[in-house]
Amino acid sequence: MRRAIALAGLAALAAGLVCGFAALWHTTVPGDLRLPGIDARAVLGAGAVERAQRYQDFAIATFVLSTLAGLVALALYARRGPGLVRKSAAGPLGTGFLLAMLGSGIVWVTQLPFELADLWWARRHHVIETGYLDTLLGGWAGLGGRFLVICLTVLIAMGFGRLLRATWWVPTAVAFTAVTLLLAFVTPWLLTGQHAPRRAALRADAARIAAREGVPDVPLRIEPIRDVTPSPNAYAVGLGPSRRVVLWDTITGFPARQVRVTIAHEYAHQARHHILKDVAWFLLIALPGGLVVALVLRRRGGFVRPEVVPLVLLVVALLQLAAMPLQSVVSRHYEAEADWRALNTTRDPAALIGLMRNFTRVALADPDPPGWYHWLADDHPSLAERVAMARAWAEREHVASP
Amino acid sequence: MAEGAVQIVVTDDLARSRVTVFFRLLLALPHLIMLGLLTAVALLLAPIAWVIALVTARVPDGLHEYFVTVVRYATHTYAYLYLAAQDWPPIAGARPYAIDVVLPPAPVRQNRWSVAFRGLLAVPAILLAGSLGTGVFTTTAYYLSFGIAPTAALLGWFACLARGRMPRGLRDLVAYALHYGAQSSAYLLLLTPRYPDSDPAATAAAVAEPPPAHAVGLDAGAEDPERMRLLVFFRGPLAFPHLAWLTLWSVVAVPVAIAGWLVALATGRLPAFAHRFLAARLRYATHVTAFLYLAAELFPGFTGARGAFPIDLALPPPQRQRRWTILLRGLLALPALLVAGAIGGLQALAAVLAWFAALVTGRMPSGLRGVQLLGLRYQGQVGAYLALLTADYPSSGPERRP
Repeated sequence: MRRAIALAGLAALAAGLVCGFAALWHTTVPGDLRLPGIDARAVLGAGAVERAQRYQDFAIATFVLSTLAGLVALALYARRGPGLVRKSAAGPLGTGFLLAMLGSGIVWVTQLPFELADLWWARRHHVIETGYLDTLLGGWAGLGGRFLVICLTVLIAMGFGRLLRATWWVPTAVAFTAVTLLLAFVTPWLLTGQHAPRRAALRADAARIAAREGVPDVPLRIEPIRDVTPSPNAYAVGLGPSRRVVLWDTITGFPARQVRVTIAHEYAHQARHHILKDVAWFLLIALPGGLVVALVLRRRGGFVRPEVVPLVLLVVALLQLAAMPLQSVVSRHYEAEADWRALNTTRDPAALIGLMRNFTRVALADPDPPGWYHWLADDHPSLAERVAMARAWAEREHVASP
Repeated sequence: MAEGAVQIVVTDDLARSRVTVFFRLLLALPHLIMLGLLTAVALLLAPIAWVIALVTARVPDGLHEYFVTVVRYATHTYAYLYLAAQDWPPIAGARPYAIDVVLPPAPVRQNRWSVAFRGLLAVPAILLAGSLGTGVFTTTAYYLSFGIAPTAALLGWFACLARGRMPRGLRDLVAYALHYGAQSSAYLLLLTPRYPDSDPAATAAAVAEPPPAHAVGLDAGAEDPERMRLLVFFRGPLAFPHLAWLTLWSVVAVPVAIAGWLVALATGRLPAFAHRFLAARLRYATHVTAFLYLAAELFPGFTGARGAFPIDLALPPPQRQRRWTILLRGLLALPALLVAGAIGGLQALAAVLAWFAALVTGRMPSGLRGVQLLGLRYQGQVGAYLALLTADYPSSGPERRP
């Protein structure tokens, strides 16, 4: 009987996941849109593309190596970590905190050489200006905040694990989603140093685009970052009353049309509730992920004893790696929608293509990264795909494009 | 006496003449000038002694004798200035004094490597001596903090003027600072190859009478110097969740303490609930500090339970207290809080030094652990006095190890 109930529950979960995927996947990008082939070198400049590719090749190599190093470290920790329970006088939950924090700390140490190598590479290419010591000490000090979050995570998961034994993963996934939702809501208020645009023209552009996107109450903020990096960037954050669009001050020096299309892109994220949808996707991924962890822990008595924490860390890392392509494709899907709406709003494909040229030139973003990497980890369409979308839109709307 | 040991001798009887206390700084001035001149000459001779010791592995007799004179004279002078002794000290340490140090009577053969790097090796000791407010280079104290000895002297000045006696705890604290200052000076001036021992228990053993019993004690158990480097490296971030939890706990403790104070004013006794709650918080703070400052190896629990941690605060049950002392508790605690602040600075510095030492050697130096035990006990006594958990005034003097 219990088995039947469990199977029915799993079937209901699977059905729910499928429905959720289908509902969240829908965007306003026309289903019949076909992107034309693009010669990135011709459109974005051969020299810039080569330089960007060289730059990104190194970054991809360190990404692969650091991921492998992290997994190896976690695998070793899963074997040796349980012995560390003797270093705790904190009871099962507190010991779980300790083991989780140490696991995270060990991963941080394994990532550090790659992080420093990335920094060296970025500094060499003038993509970032941060010092090595700042990175080192900042990373060590930042572990405090990371450890606090880890303790909260273990408290939730192990708390439910000790309370519910078999079905702990369901309320845990829901609780994690609630925390993610809360964080998404409060994050804008935790970001300091941002200010309203000082240029009246920029303010007017933002207000006009926000009104056109149907989110007139979402403000635009400028984040000073020029001292850290010359790379351009922008993002949308917050939920409901905390929503805002943020431009790095490095992008505000770009031509006004390119700034406009950037703003329109970010307002499109807000208009289409992409942040809220990201949280929903998190739940859809966390539920089956939690089930997998629960299945792994079943023979070890569930998520009850702190000794299982190192194993949980390993399993979660593997699940994150497995879920990465799904998260990336979802992210790319929404980014493509934001581009499409930005084109509809500004009706300026040339500006979007110009922006991509600048991304290649200044941020050294590879316009056409290796397919496997794009599939696994790219959270934006490649620059070539974005140029192709601009051209497809222009063709559809009979607007001239470069 | 072990070869190269620097011992303190305390024969002071705590009685003070109010007139000489009132004018103590002026009376000490001739000695300070004389000491300044002798120290300047010693600093000029020190490099010569260093070169000779590098070649012969020992300091010449004449230089040794001169340095012994300077270190002893500095101890006498600062003992007088800081009110740890009553009589005007003999010029240039010509006679024994109420607070005296016994230094190696003849030059000791020393390892040439240790001589070669003496200046570098002595840096931690000089820093600690600076924080204590003693030693040849007393001025370092004013860069780090006001220093323990000057703080104790300032408070002792008021106490002596009022009562005609130096409080035992303050006298012993100054004696401890002087003892460590003499050790660090002796080490730096090549009078001894023994590294300065900051364990206050060594000073406590030199005082004829044991300190009076206090209602609040520290149960430190047997010393386990082994430290796991992984736990040492991440010690600060690992303590972060505890510090966050302690802060939350403190937010609740303040209104509980105020309510308890009001009830105690009426009944002469802290209510049982408030006593339990505040005692648990104080114990928890002791556990967290012991962990953060490397006095203990184990990760502490989050409840402050009695006996749950190797270093624990022994607190008395609720006691009837005089209402006027309850009414003025905050005011009465001010001098103790000043001393606690100075000791807190010493603890923090000792923890930083211990962090490096434990990372390199995998062991906690016993002297630095002794500093932490002194601080934990005193901070616990101050906290307990302030929270009405005891009527006993905090005693800052070092305690003998059982």
